[in-house]
Amino acid sequence: MASSDVKPKSVSHAKKWSEEIENLYRFQHAGYRDEIEYKQVKQVSMVDRWPETGYVKKLERRDNTFYYYNRQRECDDKEVHKVKIYAY
Amino acid sequence: MVAEKETLSLNKCPDKLPKRTKLPLPVHQPHSLVSEGFTVKAMMKNSVVRGPPTAGAFKERPTKPTAFRKFYERGDFPIALEHDSKGNKIAWKVEIEKLDYHHYLPLFFDGLCEMTFPYEFFARQGIHDMLEHGGNKILPVIPQLIIPIKNALNLRNRQVICVTLKVLQHLVVSAEMVGEALVPYYRQILPILNIFKNMNVNSGDGIDYSQQKRENIGDLIQETLEAFERSGGEDAFINIKYMVPTYESCLLN
Repeated sequence: MASSDVKPKSVSHAKKWSEEIENLYRFQHAGYRDEIEYKQVKQVSMVDRWPETGYVKKLERRDNTFYYYNRQRECDDKEVHKVKIYAY
Repeated sequence: MVAEKETLSLNKCPDKLPKRTKLPLPVHQPHSLVSEGFTVKAMMKNSVVRGPPTAGAFKERPTKPTAFRKFYERGDFPIALEHDSKGNKIAWKVEIEKLDYHHYLPLFFDGLCEMTFPYEFFARQGIHDMLEHGGNKILPVIPQLIIPIKNALNLRNRQVICVTLKVLQHLVVSAEMVGEALVPYYRQILPILNIFKNMNVNSGDGIDYSQQKRENIGDLIQETLEAFERSGGEDAFINIKYMVPTYESCLLN
């Protein structure tokens, strides 16, 4: 894993919900761009996920508090367009 | 003298009455006498017995300050205050898996009695998170949760009852054996449900939006009792039926 920060090259907004968008929503809700940034900042290799659905379960925020997410989908359709997809 | 003669003549010939004066009516009370039941006064012919005073089954009880509020204001909870959260989520300072459930879970359940923001939000969301991630730590704490649940239901406040019922539904599916562990305590928590069970709005053909939002008490109670029966094992139905006689089983036919 690269130790230096990898910056994304472009940003786009999500149009339709998918499982990937759901996980991105959860990361962005906790204050990170996506999984890559979370792993860089927190120096962890694995992210806690729900076993059945694969959605992110627990994230540690930058102020060291914890966010817990539900088993089911949390990102509403009206929030989908706010989710940013970063391309590297 | 004249008066005497008049009265005498009246007595002798009652038909020949002077037109000006009228006979006084027989003695009737102008208003009927209102009296309490089971008294000598009630036995009188013209007394009307007042109905019994209302028992106040549906009357809301006032809330007492809860231990939850005290601890929250002291900052004893491992919850971080969020001013910028866009969702209905709380941030935990400590990982939930490391929390002492024996200490914190009854305190959060105590917060179910709260009706004002932010106490009721934190109590509700805190309980939800702790039940989601508790696993086998929930079962040993069940006996300590009964009194807070009973206190919350006894307030007879619709909003509090709705929240408590949803919490109970989550509780019985949160971990194994929790439903069975709750069966001995039915006689403490089910009597209130018996009172509110028929509180359904009869709107005829109209749409009852409270049902969609899961706020119709009668339906919520029915859902909760069904959840109890499903997770309570063999003895659940008979115990529920003992406390809520109008409940019909959803598992047996």
